[in-house]
Amino acid sequence: MKKKEILCDFLLWILFAILLGLTISFSFLPLLSVNPFQALTVMFSETFSSTYNMGNILIKTAPLILTGLAFTFTYKANLYNIGAQGQFYSGCICASAVSLALGGKLPGPIVILLAGMAAILGGAVVGFIIGFLKAKFNANEFLISMMSTYVIQYVMQLLLRTSLQESKHEYLKTDYLDKSTWLPKIIPGTSVSLGIVISLLVAVLVWYVLYKTSLGFRIRATGLNQDAARMSGISPQHQYMLAFAISGAIAGLAGLVEINGMQHMLLTGFDTQIGSYGIGIAILANAHPLAVVPASLLFGFLQVGGTALGHSTDAPASVIDLLQGFVMLFVLMSFYFRRKAELNKLKKKRIVTEEA
Amino acid sequence: MNNITSLLARAFFMSTPLILGALGEVIAERTGMMVTAVEGIFLIGAWGGFIGAYISGNLYLGFLLAMVCGLMVALLYALTTVYMNQHQIVMGTAISILVTGFCTFFYRVIFGIQTTPLKVEVLSTIQIPILSQIPFVGKILFSQNIITYLAYLLIPIILFVMNHTALGLTLRSCGENPEAVDTAGIDILKIRFAAVAVAGCLGGIAGAYYSLCNVGMYTSEIISGRGWIAFGICFLGNWNPVGALIFGTVFGVSEAIGVYVKSLGMSTMPSELFSALPYVLVIVLTVCRKDLRAPNKLGQNYVKEN
Amino acid sequence: MGKNIIVELKHINKRFAKVLANDDVSMVIKEGEVVALLGENGAGKSTIMKILYGLYHATEGEIFINQKKVEIRSPKEAMACGIAMIQQHFSLVEAHTVTENIILGHCKGKIDFTEKEKEIQALADQYHFDVPAGELVKNLTVGAQQKVEILKALYLNAKIIIMDEPTAVLTPQEADVLMGFVRDYVAKGNSIVFITHKMKEVLEVSDRIIVLRNGKISGTIEEGEIRTVKESELVNLMIGHDLEIIKAPSMTGTDNRKNRLEVEHVSLRSKDNIPLLDNVSFSIKEGEILGFAGVSGNGQQELCEAIYGARKLHAGKVILDGEEISQLAVKERIEKGIGYLASDRYRYGMISGMTLSENILLKASYLKNWVKNGIIKWKELNNYTENIIQEYKVKAPDHEVVIGSLSGGNQQKVVVAREVDRGEKLIIFDQPTRGLDLGAINYVHKTIMREKSKGKSILLVSTELSEIFALSDRIAILYKGKIMGIFQNGELSTEQIGLLMAGYELKEA
Repeated sequence: MKKKEILCDFLLWILFAILLGLTISFSFLPLLSVNPFQALTVMFSETFSSTYNMGNILIKTAPLILTGLAFTFTYKANLYNIGAQGQFYSGCICASAVSLALGGKLPGPIVILLAGMAAILGGAVVGFIIGFLKAKFNANEFLISMMSTYVIQYVMQLLLRTSLQESKHEYLKTDYLDKSTWLPKIIPGTSVSLGIVISLLVAVLVWYVLYKTSLGFRIRATGLNQDAARMSGISPQHQYMLAFAISGAIAGLAGLVEINGMQHMLLTGFDTQIGSYGIGIAILANAHPLAVVPASLLFGFLQVGGTALGHSTDAPASVIDLLQGFVMLFVLMSFYFRRKAELNKLKKKRIVTEEA
Repeated sequence: MNNITSLLARAFFMSTPLILGALGEVIAERTGMMVTAVEGIFLIGAWGGFIGAYISGNLYLGFLLAMVCGLMVALLYALTTVYMNQHQIVMGTAISILVTGFCTFFYRVIFGIQTTPLKVEVLSTIQIPILSQIPFVGKILFSQNIITYLAYLLIPIILFVMNHTALGLTLRSCGENPEAVDTAGIDILKIRFAAVAVAGCLGGIAGAYYSLCNVGMYTSEIISGRGWIAFGICFLGNWNPVGALIFGTVFGVSEAIGVYVKSLGMSTMPSELFSALPYVLVIVLTVCRKDLRAPNKLGQNYVKEN
Repeated sequence: MGKNIIVELKHINKRFAKVLANDDVSMVIKEGEVVALLGENGAGKSTIMKILYGLYHATEGEIFINQKKVEIRSPKEAMACGIAMIQQHFSLVEAHTVTENIILGHCKGKIDFTEKEKEIQALADQYHFDVPAGELVKNLTVGAQQKVEILKALYLNAKIIIMDEPTAVLTPQEADVLMGFVRDYVAKGNSIVFITHKMKEVLEVSDRIIVLRNGKISGTIEEGEIRTVKESELVNLMIGHDLEIIKAPSMTGTDNRKNRLEVEHVSLRSKDNIPLLDNVSFSIKEGEILGFAGVSGNGQQELCEAIYGARKLHAGKVILDGEEISQLAVKERIEKGIGYLASDRYRYGMISGMTLSENILLKASYLKNWVKNGIIKWKELNNYTENIIQEYKVKAPDHEVVIGSLSGGNQQKVVVAREVDRGEKLIIFDQPTRGLDLGAINYVHKTIMREKSKGKSILLVSTELSEIFALSDRIAILYKGKIMGIFQNGELSTEQIGLLMAGYELKEA
């Protein structure tokens, strides 16, 4: 009962923050002579006009769930993996390299499996290195993870210009992956692939690991009080490396979902914001792995809605970035106001009980 | 020889915004505040600077607007972290995302859809009389633009304020032991708020440097991590203005090398790796430097009981 | 009597979100007197003074200074009224010099540091404080750091200095120097408020005593009565009833038991190579309690951590039941059956944001008790925790509440329960009752005696001599990382132990 109340309270604040973000960002639309109400209608009607478009929401959602989970996981260890973008790219590179190399030579499912493992490994290695530097040299993990993103971006560009470049050597992109290596579509009439299922499974898995296993317990304990963890025989350094490697693996897997599930090739400058959206999603979900799913759905919907806006009205898709930014800001602010309200309530309660 | 001169001149040119940003960061971080919104502050500086300059036709008004924009973002960041006690890293990221959307959206609002990017004339260099005539050094150090000179001028000023004034003592104490400052009757939150604001102003100018001195236009990728590099320089420079100068220059050099290699246009060269050099440097150097001593309470918000 | 009242607090109430810290407290401070605020931990002594110093704001009530009503909203305003406070945890910037610390907030514009340093040095010399004005605070001893705090007050010409538990961190000698200063200072017409829970120093130094209990004033001893008041009366005022005396345990039968823990020539050094423990050797038998007496900071925590595995030994061996464990990590020593109740519960002993169950699990995450194949058996763990709640009479609704929401005493019960459980062979108690109310203290004491009777070996560290006397079979005294001697309980008088604690060797009789 009490837990439910807290949850309701929380949802109410979040909803309020979302509505406020929506109102403010859309109120700028008249500057472009776009009627915000019309824009809103277009956003909803276009997005929900066909199964295909609704499917697009799920397509956008799938990798977002994973990057959201990636940030959540390290957050639980009181670490800040703000470079999930880089681990994602690393996963993309590995997934596409494996798929290109083996596609058509081995049975599709096996290639997908190998690509998936490569993507996970690619992300995990990057994550592990960051965790290792944090553990061994007490380096600043968020600075390093941020920097690693840019390094990997350049590496990706280099690869796309050289060994991974398409046969025509024209653009900075790879050839199309062999069709057998594409993640199978699961909803007829849409492009929704197995990716969304993978993401949902990972969300459940992350939740299970964090709350039901001793491994997750140790990571959470380290995050909440590393001194107490150390005094309990839990080495914080090990947890740092572990948490970062797992976080990187999750972000890397998003690479598979995106490459083999959606893009079917690797190209420069795609999904440049997916890492930061992951952070926003984690914030919105209050860093709960299961809540990451609905938060990602919201972001996925906004992405699709934004594209629809761009197509059908004069409103640019960037209004969605604005909207997402405001929502994040207000959600964070709501934490402050919620806490304040709570404290006030507590104080009042005291007075009442004392006077009674 | 000529190549080296222009490379080094380019290096000092490129190091200016990094030094400016890092100096702002030093001031804020000495009070305990990491300005993790620095990427957003740089971006809005670049954006505001361009808009101001394009519309007014005056680069200096551009810089002024950039400063105001940077200040605004910094104030938002300071309000939410210092007074509303939100986590510094999380908040910084959120604000940076907001700024990204804001800049793209309002660029469109102001300029509409452009087929070719709008441009402004970049800030010209000022040849310092006599000094710029010195061979080699003159070309490198004394034919830069005014912002570069300003950045170098700021270093002794900040050093003096930090180490020889009451204000500096208070600033330094805020990052070491907020309780001590509080009990000494100083409003620590105000100090931190103000320090972040100063960092915002400097960061805004630094951002505008990219749009107004470097390329003369605005794109949403114009900053691409330079804010974070300035942040890293503050760390590497051991939270010291001189350190910021040294490492700012190191990164200027590495960035200039990247640009130089790219300009050679040799397809066999992995020029991307040279472009990645500054970022790799941050990682390697933060790991290697053992003598770093961060302000004791860096990144920790100060919450008064009561 | 003849003295002028300079400060008057009237009907002060202070309510925090969860507790009522001060309940209708009224008191005065007179010119040229030492007034002691006596009370247990959590009685509200510090709170009322923090209100006077402007760190807290009273929920209700008024403050008068020199008969004028004032609002003190910040320490700055308090200082303007001539009030200074030396807090229990010093508010010094360790990385800065003494001078920088003293002038912080009280200087303007450009600072001439050489000039200021001279000024501060002169001030220090005037009060015969041996404090170098140009030294970094982190290089000073605790006693010297306290003097820096006092200098801060003197620099501002404070007329009233509030001292919060000033002797807690001092050796007896340093405490004597402090008392000397206190007398000097009030002789000049200034006043001092002395917050403490130690009766002895209260009777030694104060002109008047105000006793607080549960946020209320439970008694006042006026100037005339102070020579005649008995300690027991003060105790009664402090805790509401007389102290329950736990009898020193009898020693029979321990001698032919085998040694459980042997510590041989253990030495430990800090990062900058300062010796923390110096050739420490002792043993504890099965079913024996060895009490370690000493002023805090003389190596007690280091010793506990060395035995527990949280610190690497520089030299020496730790042997448990004949097996050397010096090289084992903490998690392996936990497995061997060593429990450790750290003195700083919030930092080392519990995770405030986790539930009671999770805190019970904390030290068993690698053990098989509630974990099978890496999966936590929540049901069993929760049931177990419910049992603990029953058995230890923890005031908590259920196992799902966050431990941080409980009172200190109840938190300690949970943590003690866990350590008692983990420590099948040896339990290390470092200041197990610090900061607890009397009921909880009693409970912890009973638990310790119970575990001893089960044959467990117990290492007890306490800065309260009474606790050491009440529980220990043998008593060891630590001073600057060295054992000054190990004696049977009852062999030495309090005075003799006090001397050893201060680093004096006992003269051969």
